[in-house]
Amino acid sequence: MNQANLKLSQQKSIRKSKEADALFNSIGEGAITTDEFGRITRVNKPALKMLGFHKSELIGQPFLKLVIAEDFDGKVIGTIDRPIVQAFLTGQSILTKLNYRTKKGTLLPVDISISPLMLNNRPVGAIEVFRDISLEQEIDRMKSEFISLASHQLRTPLSAIKTYSHMLRDGYMGKLNKHQKSSLDTIIGATNRMNELISTLLNISRIESGTINVTLKKNNIEKVIKEIIPELTLIADAKAIEFKLVSTSTESLEIVTDALIVKEIVTNLVSNAIKYTEANGKVCLTIAPRKQDILLKIKDSGWGIPEIARDKVFTKFYRGSNIVSKETNGTGLGLYLVKGLIEAINGKIWFKSVEKKGTTFYVSLPRELDLK
Amino acid sequence: MAKILVVEDDRDLNKAYCIILRHEGHDVVAAFDGKEALVKLSEIKPDLVLLDLLMPVMGGLEFLKAWADHKKNDAKILLFTNMENSPEISEAYKLGASRCIIKSWTAPHNLAKVVNDTLKSDSFKKIKSRPKVQKV
Repeated sequence: MNQANLKLSQQKSIRKSKEADALFNSIGEGAITTDEFGRITRVNKPALKMLGFHKSELIGQPFLKLVIAEDFDGKVIGTIDRPIVQAFLTGQSILTKLNYRTKKGTLLPVDISISPLMLNNRPVGAIEVFRDISLEQEIDRMKSEFISLASHQLRTPLSAIKTYSHMLRDGYMGKLNKHQKSSLDTIIGATNRMNELISTLLNISRIESGTINVTLKKNNIEKVIKEIIPELTLIADAKAIEFKLVSTSTESLEIVTDALIVKEIVTNLVSNAIKYTEANGKVCLTIAPRKQDILLKIKDSGWGIPEIARDKVFTKFYRGSNIVSKETNGTGLGLYLVKGLIEAINGKIWFKSVEKKGTTFYVSLPRELDLK
Repeated sequence: MAKILVVEDDRDLNKAYCIILRHEGHDVVAAFDGKEALVKLSEIKPDLVLLDLLMPVMGGLEFLKAWADHKKNDAKILLFTNMENSPEISEAYKLGASRCIIKSWTAPHNLAKVVNDTLKSDSFKKIKSRPKVQKV
């Protein structure tokens, strides 16, 4: 190579490097690159601003030691578990969320994307792009708080209306005539529908906003379900429906799942079965543990789901043509909600139905729930 | 007849529950927060506490923690709340609550039924005559 060519090549190389620098610095989110020893080779302005360091404090320094990472439970993430190390070791890109400790010691929640830098199929470093998600987390927290508060505050006045209407109707405040009783029944019916609507809307809002809380714990499925049987029996009694719980427990009843969500799913499916079954009918809830999962069956002797409606029953606001005229109080949200709840705990739902004979809903719950 | 302590901060609801349970023949005392309930718990030694969770001054969970610490008596705890599906309910079970009923879903006769059933369950022997349970 002659001198002129060498100079041209050097100029090209400098130009490429400057272009890479400009590109790196123009990334709107924090970006850091490391070499194969984990030392910081490049860092852009947003990253410096978020982490509170000077460029000179970071370049050439070990990223893992200088910027501490913690999970959302406040536990420091060990070197080998750090996403950047994992990306380097596996050669795979990683997307995750964690907390960084800034130079000042404050916590910075970030959404990060890491890609290994490969040369001749060998990782020679990694690039990490991260963005501050503290505002998103605050909004999520406020949403959850609002939902919980709204749930309580909307229900308190409703409880008073319902309790006093019942007391009036049942003669606690003196005898009433038939017309007065019937008017109070109308008020009670409306408060029940309002209650149902509040429950459903709040749950759907939790699912759709992603603020549904899944808390995993080892549970005995029979024990969990037995806690809601008294309330379900009250609903069945009100319609003179024979409701029973059957447990075929040859396999273990142990399950790692969110008990509250399971209760919500079963409550919805059993109340639905009661709602769409004529008075004096039957509803049976069976717990059938299998080796790989826990199967729940909710069988009713109700009106059934018409063939034409079968692929739409889990759709929002859908109501079967055969039940709209019989049961006018549905919202078409119950099964949509149930499906969302089941998906939140990695379960499955399906059904078999014969019109005018009844429906059986099957729910399969995984024995071990891994949400990672 | 059993001694029941109704702990509910909403005065209208508290009054209603007292009327319903007195109508069932029980001896009922009202408290409007957990702190007041702890004092009355020592005084009247109830057989059952009908307990709301979200209350000012001292909520239901704090009351249960204090109750567990002192073990002032063997009252049964019946949660009566509108906090459907909340982790607080699981926590309350751990702290000794026997049962949980959602207020806005429960009609007076059902409240009376659940109270009477809870009183009757396990080793409870004090009910002299079981009150008549009305079907919906």
